[in-house]
Amino acid sequence: MEDLTLVLRRTAKEILEKGEAQMVIGWEKGAFWYSSTSAFISKPEDTERLIWDEYCVNNLAKYLLDYRHKEGKVAVFVKGCDSRALNVLLQDKQLKREKILIIGLACPGMKDEVEARKLGRGSSIPLYKKCRECRYPNALNYDFFIGEDKVIKEIPAQDDFSEVQALESLSPDEKYNKFVANYERCLRCYACRNICPACNCRECIFDRTASGWSSKANNVSENMFFALTRALHVAGRCVGCGECERACPVNIPIMLLNKKIIQDINALFGEYEAGTDVTAKLPLGGFEFTDPEEFM
Amino acid sequence: MSVNEVTWQPKILVFACNWCTYAGADLTGLSRLQYPATVRILRVPCSGRINPQFVLKAFQKGVDAVLVAGCHPGDCHYTTGNYFTRRRFLIMRRLMEYVGLEPERLQARWISAAEAPKFQQVITEISEQIRALGPNRKLRDEEWKI
Amino acid sequence: MKRVGVFVCHCGTNIGAVVDCPQVAEKAMDFPGVVYSVDYKYMCSEPGQEMIKKAVQEHRLDRVVVASCSPRMHERTFQRCVEGAGLNSYFVEMANIREHCSWVHAGEPEKATEKAMDLVKMAVAKVVKNKPLQKATIPVTDRALVIGGGIAGIQAALDIANAGHVVDIVEKEPSIGGKMAQIDKTFPTLDCSACILTPKMVEAASHPNINLLTYSEVEKVEGFVGNFDVTIKKKARSVNMDVCTGCGLCMEKCPKKVDSEFELKMSKRRAIYTPFPQAIPNKPVIDRENCTYFNTGKCGICSKVCPAGAVDYTQEDEYLTRRYGAIVVAIGFELFDYSVIGEYGYGKYPDVITGLHFERLVNASGPTLGKIKRPSDHKEPKNVVFIKCVGSRDPAKGKSYCSKACCMYTAKHATLVREKIKDSNIYIFYMDVRTPGKGYDEFYNRTREQYGANYIRGRVSKIYQQGERLIVRGEDTLLGRPVEIEADLVVLATAMVAQPGAGQLAQKLGIGYDKDHFYTEAHPKLAPVETHTQGVYLAGACQGPKDIPESVAQASAAAAKVCGLLSKREMLTEPIVSEVNESICAGCGMCVAICPYKAIELKTISERIQGQTVERQVASVNGGLCQGCGACTVACRSAALNLKHFTDQQILAEVNALCL
Repeated sequence: MEDLTLVLRRTAKEILEKGEAQMVIGWEKGAFWYSSTSAFISKPEDTERLIWDEYCVNNLAKYLLDYRHKEGKVAVFVKGCDSRALNVLLQDKQLKREKILIIGLACPGMKDEVEARKLGRGSSIPLYKKCRECRYPNALNYDFFIGEDKVIKEIPAQDDFSEVQALESLSPDEKYNKFVANYERCLRCYACRNICPACNCRECIFDRTASGWSSKANNVSENMFFALTRALHVAGRCVGCGECERACPVNIPIMLLNKKIIQDINALFGEYEAGTDVTAKLPLGGFEFTDPEEFM
Repeated sequence: MSVNEVTWQPKILVFACNWCTYAGADLTGLSRLQYPATVRILRVPCSGRINPQFVLKAFQKGVDAVLVAGCHPGDCHYTTGNYFTRRRFLIMRRLMEYVGLEPERLQARWISAAEAPKFQQVITEISEQIRALGPNRKLRDEEWKI
Repeated sequence: MKRVGVFVCHCGTNIGAVVDCPQVAEKAMDFPGVVYSVDYKYMCSEPGQEMIKKAVQEHRLDRVVVASCSPRMHERTFQRCVEGAGLNSYFVEMANIREHCSWVHAGEPEKATEKAMDLVKMAVAKVVKNKPLQKATIPVTDRALVIGGGIAGIQAALDIANAGHVVDIVEKEPSIGGKMAQIDKTFPTLDCSACILTPKMVEAASHPNINLLTYSEVEKVEGFVGNFDVTIKKKARSVNMDVCTGCGLCMEKCPKKVDSEFELKMSKRRAIYTPFPQAIPNKPVIDRENCTYFNTGKCGICSKVCPAGAVDYTQEDEYLTRRYGAIVVAIGFELFDYSVIGEYGYGKYPDVITGLHFERLVNASGPTLGKIKRPSDHKEPKNVVFIKCVGSRDPAKGKSYCSKACCMYTAKHATLVREKIKDSNIYIFYMDVRTPGKGYDEFYNRTREQYGANYIRGRVSKIYQQGERLIVRGEDTLLGRPVEIEADLVVLATAMVAQPGAGQLAQKLGIGYDKDHFYTEAHPKLAPVETHTQGVYLAGACQGPKDIPESVAQASAAAAKVCGLLSKREMLTEPIVSEVNESICAGCGMCVAICPYKAIELKTISERIQGQTVERQVASVNGGLCQGCGACTVACRSAALNLKHFTDQQILAEVNALCL
């Protein structure tokens, strides 16, 4: 990956020097050896800060929204999950493709920051769970690719819904107690929403009490309403990047809800992998006459 | 609204589309078919107008069950509204069950303007199911602990 | 704070005998916003309505709740009543305490009373959030467009024109008349098709309110009900219509012969031609693809012989845009091209023909002048086999539907053969015989009994040539034995299919079509001639296979709808439509995809963001097209879309009222 870092810097530098984009969004080294953070580079000389290592977990796609009204193009480096997220933003018409320069990467899977902190430098650090399960490690939609567009990571045959299925097998009260236990600690800081590429509304209903939907009250009932509503809003849009869980300060397993819906959409309306096809119609934005009939 | 176990009666909210189910409920009245006084019908133009979030809000505020009802597929006054309803609530019902709500508490039915006996039967059935389950505390604003 | 008045109706004993109305009225005073509450025997009666009006004045009420019967019964009554009291008609809500309460809980008066209170509470909670709504008016252009000049289009145009409205008929062929012009006789009366059609064609052409735009096509449709802006392409005829007298000399002298489409390639026409002798307008067009002058620059005979100097080789396609209040789509059907399937030797053996070929063969003005002769050797056939359901009712051929007219026209063909060829034998292979029309079954029975047609229930498995004859092998499933017939002529009742361009036209018009590309009506039972696009109506076989009487009936029905629309200068639009909060809308376009009426589109707005002017897209609802279903509101995550009169806030208020 060190070699690629050089290619990545060179590419970014060229892009800025030639004026192909006004800014490049990538990663730079963070405060610790086990953290890499997003970097926004607009001067060619600053491209030396850019890196590509196994801690570049941040999904960069959503940052593009902040610069969508800027003049000129913005270049962005994308892994598989960033690429799918970017596609969702394109599907939701939040970005103009012609204003973005996409540089694809082949992702080997990112290492778990929390484990790294625990285990210490030099030890063998496991990949994030979401990366172990990832089936699209490489960028899907790009203007050019760094390195060879070849999958360099082991790909599981299908999505892993075992945790969802384990939950499904519990009794209603057991399920509810687990749900409450998770969302009792929700602070409603909305970090999950802010980082989520599928949450791309201009103004979220939870920021607007006048919408009638959200209440400022911080109680478990409102937390659950927030959680379920957000799950419904990202239904068919969630690309499984897991950034919500990573951003959650109280470690709520948010993906348990998202994965449940992904599983059900697949089972009910046919396989749908969000962000793999920009031209696809969102599953809840349409219907088939032949959809399963449970209304009776 | 807190739950008084002694005086508790099921409170069932029915979201009914104006053209089929609401009219079906009217016909149930015209035909004098009797059913338990546990339901309150909320009229919407089309079942496609029923936001799953309304259902969440209703549970928060203390209803014991929600019935989402509209025209049969192919009979929608707006032609396709109920097909969207079907997709949305297929997902919604599974999600609610997943977080621990008893499946009886969120149901969906197609009830046409002519199906008075069906309306009567559905309401009677759900009322009995909810009576057996007891008051709902899940997701509630107050008393959300079970 | 709103001032709500609650009026609880006893409906005689209908409500009063079960629900304790005075108690409901008393309880209502506790609900937020209620300043006046009363119960009365008959709220809908004259004195009841007066009571409401008086209370509005005396207590300065600005919202009214009537607890009585179903709003489906009396909502209009009470809307008019509050309007009479000077309030906006949408400031009244009804609590249905009769159909949904007293009548269904007759044995539980206490619970019924409690429920009535809840229902009133919900209505009060909603009504305080009701906004004044006004019906808007949009102007209606008094001109109709009929697309398609077959019998359905002609009939619709005549009906509309006779009611005093101007109609344009757009027909893609050089003449109006459509499929009916090709048909010889009509069932079950056996009157001559041309004899009943041509007078209608003449009437349409000479009607002061009808303009014929033949050899023309619809290019683009914009706008909405009352105001469609339609661009029509008038293909270059190469003949100046104003000058041409229709003498026909050019057609006589034209040296270039081409297969006649009208005669299904069984005879020739010239490169300058009218499709058939009774064509309307009876002025020729030049088929530029086949014209020697257009291909080589030499010839020009038609121009030389034309006494009026009407031939104009320089003519170009013309585009004209006109505004119409309403559109009738009547583009008809096509016959399934069975050579694609290749079954029954169609396309391979010249004596295997379709029903429409047969119509031409038996027609007095057809290629054989009405003598039934088989195409291969022009001999008179003795054994004629008819095969029904060719393509129709056969999902394997992609057509699961019944083409409806074939049972009857096959019976008609059989009688015509027997009348013209006395010693002929008729064999008809069928799956079922369907004769659900006036006089149809009697006709079918005559065909069998009087005309001696042999009906064989079963499918044909194979047809092959043996000498001069065709061997037809099939099965008689009623007798359970194979059948083999030596036929001289085989006639296939091929399926009716949608016009090849049906899908494209539907997209221009914004109307729906089914898997077979037949147009979808707004409601299969209650709106069979309407489409989802207000102001666009359907007539004839473009909506599904139909025979002539059905097409004509539907055409007149569509015309009635058009007249209803065009008889007004302005039309009122329902105010219960979706509206967009542009500052919140992110322009994701989910609602655009969901709207069944194509009432939402994205528009570009510019606004100041972070000190600079930027352009962004937002949803925009066309109030003329929106029907108020509200499906879009649920798709809008940020709740930028709301349905007036059924807003999120209003429904949530009802939910809250029920529970609190």
